Amino acid sequence: MNFDIAVAGNPNCGKTTIFNALTGAKQRVGNWPGVTVEKKSGHYNYSDLKFDVIDLPGTYSLAAFSAEETVVRQYLENDEADVVVNIIDASNLERNLFLTTQLIELGKPLVIVLNMMDMAQEKGLQIDADTLATLLGAPVVPVIGRTGEGIDLLKEKIFRVSTEVSNKARLIDIAYPRDIEVEIENLSQLIRKNDITDKHTRWTAIKLLESDKQTRDEVRAHSNELDILNQAKVSIDRIEGLFKDTGRAVLSHARYGFIQGALRECVVETVVDSVDHSRQIDRILTNRWLGLPIFGLFMWLMFKLTYDLGSIPMDWIDTGLVALMNFISGLLPDSMFASLLVDGVIGGVGAIAVFLPNIFILFFIIAVLEDTGYMARVAFIMDRIMHNIGLHGKAFIPMIMGFGCNVPAIMGTRILESRRDRILTVLINPFMSCSARLPVYVLVAGAFFPDNAATVIFSMYILGIVVAIASGKLFSQTILKGMSKPFVLELPPYQRPTLRSLSLHTWERGYLFIQKMGTVILVGSVIIWVLGYFPTDVEVDRNYSSEKNILVSHYDSQLVDLESKLNMSIEKDRLEYHSEMVEYESSASYLELYQQFQILKEALASERSRELYSLRQQEIGDITEQKWIGRVGKVFEPIVRPLGFTWRESVALITGFVAKEIVVSTYGVLFGVGEDVDEGSQGVISGLRSSGMTPLVALSFLVFTLLYTPCLATVAAIKRETGTWAYTFFSIGYSLALAYTLAFLVAYFGGKFNWLS
Amino acid sequence: MFNFKRPRHKLNKANENDLRLSDLKPGEKGRIIEIGGSENFRHRLIEMGITRDAEICVDKYAPLRDPMELIVKGYHLSLRGMDAQKIAVERLA
Ligand SMILES: Nc1nc2c(ncn2[C@@H]2O[C@H](COP(=O)(O)OP(=O)(O)O)[C@@H](O)[C@H]2O)c(=O)[nH]1
Repeated sequence: MNFDIAVAGNPNCGKTTIFNALTGAKQRVGNWPGVTVEKKSGHYNYSDLKFDVIDLPGTYSLAAFSAEETVVRQYLENDEADVVVNIIDASNLERNLFLTTQLIELGKPLVIVLNMMDMAQEKGLQIDADTLATLLGAPVVPVIGRTGEGIDLLKEKIFRVSTEVSNKARLIDIAYPRDIEVEIENLSQLIRKNDITDKHTRWTAIKLLESDKQTRDEVRAHSNELDILNQAKVSIDRIEGLFKDTGRAVLSHARYGFIQGALRECVVETVVDSVDHSRQIDRILTNRWLGLPIFGLFMWLMFKLTYDLGSIPMDWIDTGLVALMNFISGLLPDSMFASLLVDGVIGGVGAIAVFLPNIFILFFIIAVLEDTGYMARVAFIMDRIMHNIGLHGKAFIPMIMGFGCNVPAIMGTRILESRRDRILTVLINPFMSCSARLPVYVLVAGAFFPDNAATVIFSMYILGIVVAIASGKLFSQTILKGMSKPFVLELPPYQRPTLRSLSLHTWERGYLFIQKMGTVILVGSVIIWVLGYFPTDVEVDRNYSSEKNILVSHYDSQLVDLESKLNMSIEKDRLEYHSEMVEYESSASYLELYQQFQILKEALASERSRELYSLRQQEIGDITEQKWIGRVGKVFEPIVRPLGFTWRESVALITGFVAKEIVVSTYGVLFGVGEDVDEGSQGVISGLRSSGMTPLVALSFLVFTLLYTPCLATVAAIKRETGTWAYTFFSIGYSLALAYTLAFLVAYFGGKFNWLS
Repeated sequence: MFNFKRPRHKLNKANENDLRLSDLKPGEKGRIIEIGGSENFRHRLIEMGITRDAEICVDKYAPLRDPMELIVKGYHLSLRGMDAQKIAVERLA
């Protein structure tokens, strides 16, 4: 025997916390069918019975305004849940109870949870739970979700309500003013007589009085529709005539009337001299003058921590990977398989794996911003700017998340109510420079702008934001005309985040990234390796091995020269100045001479290895040019030549479509770094420098990388969230065209006016 | 118990002197007289507790002067000035 339990409540009431407390770690995240609203489910056992729990999205009402409300309403109306658990923020009773009045009318067995009892106490609210239970006709369980206090009692109550058959009939009704009750009764009689719905009769009658579209459609499907709809019209007219307002507004006011009456009976408010901490904090954080600078500081800190803190474990991973590659290379004979494993799989996935610390840190910080309640303030502070491009302040949140990864960010647009807002935010999101692009910036900027790398990277981020805003403005005045939904945003109290919830959020999002490494990036790396490995029998015009021999013998002979010069100088020195000395070898004069020559020798050795390396890279370049990867690049080279790119860049960009980080892995293959792993990214940097790329081309390449077609995973997310291929292809085409244009402008004007030279 | 029979202000034709929520300064309190605007907007606000006769306090304005932060029914809520303009209030001492 198992029971279906649905958890419902307002946003920020602690629903997720209670859901986690009930189900522990046994939960699954999916989507509601047809809409892009997250569906969380889990289960627990109590007294040998299994309880399946569904965490419904947070809503203020069952009005079916937003996608969330529609989901909640459909789920609850269609009889799937055996018991509804309504979570209420005890420190904010009045508004939270509004949803409760609707849940009561729905007629499902209900358990009411008074969460945040600690906060209520702090506010000086004493709530008589028993009286409230009597007034609402449902058990009321006070809990503190954060500490888990009261959860056992809650489980017991849920168990009782699920198993008691008699309790399934609702005991109380929300009492409306007499004039309204009369109309509800009129409609109820008709509905009952015609046996029109298997839903609670009173609920249907009330929804008809509210002119609820969904309910009207349902009635319309029935043969006696006219009787009922006519009666509904008569009733609504009567109510509107009496109360001078729409049926729905009248009923909502009446619900609040009921709530106020109930609260008078069961809440005692003692005046405590406790301060409203949130308000104190907001005096500073959303202060007229300090609000924006502090927000800017937080953003700056977010990036600073992400990159500085992340670079420490990054080095460890890098070292570990190099050791692993060397170990495997040593273990396996030189073969195709060894190359696939070392260069393809470990090299390709490893190039991305080093960024995991950055990504996890960023997601952690975003979780902190969300869990503390600061994100709502971000929406508050930024609304004015977002409003300018026809968006809601909340749309700034997915934009910030876009800095981490566009995929969860695009999924995050679900927090927006209107479809137009969601599509607009989805379309501009890819321009927010995600962390996958960072490796490319670090590599290229490091190679060509070693002194100003940070500035160059930072300007890429700024360019992304500017392009996003400009595109948003453009779209909202052309293809997505219309106003955004009214801005009605709750600013919940600040909360100290719990480590548990922070790590859960960080893990949920970070895991997506690990998944991506195991799938898209792994496959992409193997494909690039295949393209770079075959055909195996390529011929190059230059005779590299003889050139190498010449180089080697040249340096060898120089070394011999140097040695003999040293010996001669020493001999001369001893004969001329120290002939009588017994222990000449430990004299200061000898040591000085010796050291001088040592320096010369080292200089010679490093020159030798540099030249050999550069020769080796030219050879690899020549060879790769004839591999499949090079041939593919050659095909597209004419198209990208106006931007200053060669076949190498065209290959890198094509492979970057799989995932932007792969641009780096591709360069690794193109410059044959796999065979000389100790060089690590230094190899790619020197390869890039010797490939003939100029700083200007590098800049144009960075601009292109920032703007062009989002990666495959993002494309999939765009398709999922917009629901149409049209917007998906539009997004691909638009960003490609924009990237080409801007990169061209950089290359053209930069060349014309001699920037960077 | 229910005081619905207050004559309805025709907001769209409201006279110039009508005080609006957006006219209140930070720290000032008001009582809601009527909510205008589209049906969906009105209903959303009512459901969030901005009901007729409810007391509402303007806490502050955002750094860029818009939106505004309000306190109603013991919680904090944010509205844009252009929407607050659709809400007629009377000032409370
Ligand atoms: N003080 C206090 N905070 C709580 C309690 N339950 C949850 N919270 C906090 O309230 C915030 C919102 O909770 P969450 O479960 O994410 O709310 P949801 O939006 O309804 O899912 C989080 O920071 C929780 O840690 C509680 O009983 N007392």
